[in-house]
Formats: sequence, C-alpha cells, structure tokens
Amino acid sequence: MEDLERQLKNALARKDAPDWFEAKVMASIRRDGGVQARRPALRWRWASALAVTVLVIGGVTWQHERMVQERAAGEAAKARLELALKITRVKLQRIEQRLNETERDN
Amino acid sequence: MKIAYMAFVALLPVAAQEFKIPASLDKLADKATEVVDVTLDGSMLQLASRFLSEKDPDEARVKRLVAGLKGIYVKSFEFEKSGEYEESDVAALRSQLKGPGWSRIVGVRSKRNGDNADVFIGSDGGQVTGLVVIAAEPKELTVVSIIGSIKPEDLRDLGGNFGIPKMEIGGHKSTGAKEE
Repeated sequence: MEDLERQLKNALARKDAPDWFEAKVMASIRRDGGVQARRPALRWRWASALAVTVLVIGGVTWQHERMVQERAAGEAAKARLELALKITRVKLQRIEQRLNETERDN
Repeated sequence: MKIAYMAFVALLPVAAQEFKIPASLDKLADKATEVVDVTLDGSMLQLASRFLSEKDPDEARVKRLVAGLKGIYVKSFEFEKSGEYEESDVAALRSQLKGPGWSRIVGVRSKRNGDNADVFIGSDGGQVTGLVVIAAEPKELTVVSIIGSIKPEDLRDLGGNFGIPKMEIGGHKSTGAKEE
C-alpha cells in the first residue's frame, strides 16, 4: 500500500517543463497562425475563379441563345418577305394577264 | 413609247404622300375565309436581308432590291362568296393615291371577270418612293404597298426570285392604263 502511494506521489509530483517545450509550442502556434492567415486568400481565389467561370458560361449561353433567337427571327422575316413577294408576283401576273386579254379583245 | 411617257409622268418631281393601308380594312377579316397580313418595316427587311445569301443569284438580287426599301405591307382577304367587301373599302384606298406624287401606271377593269386592279407609283424629286398594287376581285381583295426606292426594272428583277416569273413592266409589253 505504501509502495503504491509512493508511486502515485512520484507520478503526480509537479515537474517543470523541459526548456525545449515552450519553444516547440510557440513555433507550432506561429505555424498554425500562418496557415490560418493564408486560408481566406485561398478561399477568395477559389470564389473568384468560380465567379469568372459562371460569368463566362453565362455569357456564352446568353450569346448562343441570342444567336438562336436572332436566326429564328431572321428566318421568319425572310419567310414573310418571300410570302409578300409571292403575293405581289401573283397579283402583277394576273394584272398582266387581264391586260393581255384586253389587248386581244381590242 | 407609252411606257417611257408613263415613267416620265410618274417621276415628275412632286413628293408622294405616304400611303398607309387603313386599319378599317381589318374589319373584313371577320368575313374572310383566308387572311394574309404581312408587315415588314425597315428593320424587319434589314433582318430578312441578312439571311438572304449573296451566293445565290436570286437571293442576291432580292437582297439588292430590299436594300432600297423601307417597308413592304401586304393585306389579302379571300372570301367564300362575292360581295363581301364594299366598293367604299377600295375607294378609301384609291383616294389616298389621288394626291400629288402618285401616278397610276396600270389600271384594269374587267367586266368579264369582275376584276379591278390598279398599280400606282409614288415619286419624290424624280425618285420612285413607292409602289402600290390594289387588286379587287369578286372574292378577293389584295393590297400591296412597297415603300422605298423601287423601279420598274427592280420589279422585273423580281423574276426568278422565290419562284416569281419575270414581269414585263418597262419592257416591250404595253402596261398602259386600260379600262374596259
């Protein structure tokens, strides 16, 4: 029993930390602090890259969509022009036909 | 000779009033079995022109023609039976073209078919500024208004485009105003 108490007393006795301990801890704190200081910059870099990517993809998609819409509108306008010229042609042709008939009758 | 005289008269330096297809004509849409309404203003013509190929000779010709135009407006009503539109509807159109600067280059009144048709040319300072075709048939009424620099030769150039046969306006065939 006495032996056990002695062992416990020795084990729990106050001992000063070795000289190298403080230096190691301080070095560790400095190292961790530096990493933490660098992290926000890294995060901003990633956020910027993501924003640029989103902008580029958005811009390309918008441009493509605009071209598709413009092509559709252009083709529709061309079709309308075609229809208008066809009607004009048919009417002028009929007028010419009537003129020819009139000439023949006279 | 007749054509040369008509062209001279049509190009007298008097500004033509702008012709507008009256909105009142739209009421005929209710009676019509088929309605065609084409509105191509300057910007739409420019847009259409961008989609006309320079490589295709026919399209290239239309492209050149369209370059001088400010608008093409077409209204056509087809009816099941005759007498669905009033003479006053047509008179309202013709009255706009009685002003200075407008000349009727072709007029047809056919008692046989009941067809009435007129072709008018508008001019300003010797330049053609518009062309209007009014075709009033018993079961059909069509108005075509082409605004801008268009010449009879341009009309002839329409030949072959979009399946349009060649017109002989300004050529050897007489197109003088005739009435039955």
